[in-house]
Amino acid sequence: MMGRMIAPGALAGSALLFVPIAILSLIGWQVLGNAQQGTLTHMLIMIVAVLAFSSFTGNSGILSFGHAAFMGLSAHITGALTIPQAQKAIFLPDLPAWLADADFHYMLLGMDLHFFIVGLIAVVIVTFVAFLIGIPISRLGGPSAAIATLGLLIIVYGVIVGARDFTRGSQALIGVPKFIDIPTALVFVAIALVVARTFRDSLSGLELRAAREDEPAARAIGVNAHARRLLAWTVSASLAALAGVLLAHFLGVYSPKEFYFQLTFAILVMLIVGGMSSVSGAVVGAILVTAMIEILRKSEDYINTAWFQEPTVFGLTDIGLSLAILGVLFWRRDGLFGYREIEELAGGWRRWFGLKVHEAEQGAAPVRIQQEGALEVRHVAKVFGGLRAVDDASLSLKPGEILGLIGPNGSGKTTMLGCISGALDISEGAVNLDGHDITQMPAHQIARHRVGRSFQNIRLFTHLTCIENVKAALAASGTRLASAQMEQRALALMAELGVADYAERRAGTLAYGLQRRLEIARALALEPRYLLLDEPAAGMNETESDDLLKILAGLRDSRGLGLLVVDHDLRLIMRLCDRVVVLNKGQVIAEGAPEEVQANPDVIEAYLGKRRAATKTAPHATQGREEP
Amino acid sequence: MEIFVQQFINALALGGTYALLALGLAMVFSVLGLINFAHGELMTITGYAMFFAIAAGIPFPIAVILGIAAATLAAILMERIAFRPVRDANTATMLLTSFAVSTILHMLFQNLISARPKAIPVPDWMIGAINLGGLSIGVIQVMSITATTLLLLALTVFLRRSILGIAMRAASLDFPVTRLMGINANAVIATAFGISGLLAGVAGVLWLAQRGSVDPLMGFLPVLKAFIAVVLGGLGSLPGAVLGGFVLAFIEVSLRAFLPDDWLPFRESITLTLVIILLLVRPEGLLGRKDAVR
Repeated sequence: MMGRMIAPGALAGSALLFVPIAILSLIGWQVLGNAQQGTLTHMLIMIVAVLAFSSFTGNSGILSFGHAAFMGLSAHITGALTIPQAQKAIFLPDLPAWLADADFHYMLLGMDLHFFIVGLIAVVIVTFVAFLIGIPISRLGGPSAAIATLGLLIIVYGVIVGARDFTRGSQALIGVPKFIDIPTALVFVAIALVVARTFRDSLSGLELRAAREDEPAARAIGVNAHARRLLAWTVSASLAALAGVLLAHFLGVYSPKEFYFQLTFAILVMLIVGGMSSVSGAVVGAILVTAMIEILRKSEDYINTAWFQEPTVFGLTDIGLSLAILGVLFWRRDGLFGYREIEELAGGWRRWFGLKVHEAEQGAAPVRIQQEGALEVRHVAKVFGGLRAVDDASLSLKPGEILGLIGPNGSGKTTMLGCISGALDISEGAVNLDGHDITQMPAHQIARHRVGRSFQNIRLFTHLTCIENVKAALAASGTRLASAQMEQRALALMAELGVADYAERRAGTLAYGLQRRLEIARALALEPRYLLLDEPAAGMNETESDDLLKILAGLRDSRGLGLLVVDHDLRLIMRLCDRVVVLNKGQVIAEGAPEEVQANPDVIEAYLGKRRAATKTAPHATQGREEP
Repeated sequence: MEIFVQQFINALALGGTYALLALGLAMVFSVLGLINFAHGELMTITGYAMFFAIAAGIPFPIAVILGIAAATLAAILMERIAFRPVRDANTATMLLTSFAVSTILHMLFQNLISARPKAIPVPDWMIGAINLGGLSIGVIQVMSITATTLLLLALTVFLRRSILGIAMRAASLDFPVTRLMGINANAVIATAFGISGLLAGVAGVLWLAQRGSVDPLMGFLPVLKAFIAVVLGGLGSLPGAVLGGFVLAFIEVSLRAFLPDDWLPFRESITLTLVIILLLVRPEGLLGRKDAVR
């Protein structure tokens, strides 16, 4: 993790949330009665729980039903370890001797560390278990992963109920020492808040949020999405375990059912109301929803006692929670905070803390890359079912060279880029990068070997800011820079592509042409030796594509990159490229200087068909663009 | 050997119910990207419709038809009222919407009908067993297997022969393109929900015939199983859902039959753990596929 911490925003944001909560809670601690103090403590514990869910779900975009299971597991571990021995003998007579006699009393400076040690043991065990479970879950795609976490919730519930010797089955554990009050809970809220914010704003967190926005694009800048998800899962599970320990020592009496669907649902509502992708939102959501639950519960009691003799109305709380979720999802889908954090809403926080606002520092001269080596594609084939989308195609690209890849629609150009960049598994043949075989390498490793790419359909991380888009690539490519330098580096790259003015804008709000430029800036953050561009000029008018041409030629001249450009804009290709390869039906049908290729009868035939090829001349540059 | 055949038939019957549920879920998922948590409540609605029909003196076979019709109608209404406003949202949003719908329905059943189970008198002839060469097979199991087979066949014919069916299969591969081909999105989505409701209704009848009663939470557990089946088969793949349902049932039944007694409380957990291990080997599911990246 060294060198991977960033963003003073994390601390500022934590403080902005924590200080008011702490002040109000401490006032409540002084003035409120016992029952209300309990409600307040419970709310603080729910904040820790929701931060656990948020650390995984918020950053990965994958809904988790499983974290309540971790809470239940740690609550039962801490319970089995801390129930006084006399009560253990009554309620858990089948406990193995070593556990029944376990004693964790250690004194340090006159303090009994018993609960601290036991809590830590519970958290460590649960975190380790979560790590193991996370290995398969982090490999699954979004919806499948969500269902797998649901399965996890049922599995763990089943295990807790089934392990009667340790847990009393589905009956309640009794006699767990209660010692969580408002100040203790506040300490853990602070810890959870700092952990959640630091992780979100760390480079790993940024990489994961990038993968949440667009996983293929994240892989293409070197993000190992599986590893990042596993990390988030483990970190968030440790927070969930902490929340479980706190809840155990707050409730004193609890059964496995306490940590099942109802709790999961309540926490998910908190997350959704506040904004799934915002830590600040999660906290505010927890406060609002706890308040709502409390009011509904009181009303339910009131209705049942005042109007009826016996309880007749059930589940007002659940209906309230459901309506809250529907209301938010129908009318304000991203929740109260959307994708923002509190300090971003407060605005200008950088000035309060005396920090510099982004300023592009010009003159970070691009480094010229080594000119030896080549990217070589040898007899590659890609088979989809019965279709050979790329069939025994070979090409090579040297640094400092611009190679055009053209061909009619469906000729396999994008598939070829996919094969080189690792987005697709290659069926036959090999790809060689500067003497290394990268045929079997996953996309994110190829990216770290400094092969960048852009996509035919722009794939930016829409809800991240423009500068975060570039920083994610800097982080994922393994660049080791301090926070401020990283900012400078990102801004310099954006300035090179003329998009530095939009640093704090959400990438999805940029105009189309600017999005294409930002995508290239992001790819350049890998310091690529080779850059694969899939229809960079698509949808651009003549002026825009002329600008692009200058930029691309500039990249080659200043850095000595090898560029592989796929485009239908033949005017651009003919003017820009040193060499052109023509694909048709997956095979290379021509290769050479632009003029040679243009005059090649096979190429004309592939583009225009046999009969028309006989009467027409070559697809001249002057004919302008061919629409994609 | 006998016990083996017996268990095999049990698994087939249970798998049929799971497959019907999973297929309905997969159908809706493939057109909308929605994992419908409220699918189980459709089974419950079948149960209550049958309960009230029988209480009103309607004969059992007609009550069955009414029950299935109620589930079908409820599924279509559900889409209209709850899912249309979030149609273009991401999977997490839609999943939570359906979770909320499911909870609201639970509560409505509890408050408006009863929190306690309501008995559904199953005709006597359904409770018996048929003796087949020394094997006694429950009538309900025979019915389950028959109903599943017929329904799957009918659905296959519908999906392969009718225009709407072909549109549905196309939609399950690529919904945006299907819409560009001039297929009416609302019709496809409504049909998907209608079919999923019909399948859930039939599954509900089979489930009820074994339990003999309906309660507000009846649909929750079987649909959780169906979720697992859908993911196991490959989310979005229709044949995958059916296969997943049968595989899950075979795992469950074998564990129930052959697991030592001490381990029985952990049966559910072991089943799900096995499924997760299977997913470790094939993250995209048994019949799932990877999408091309453009």
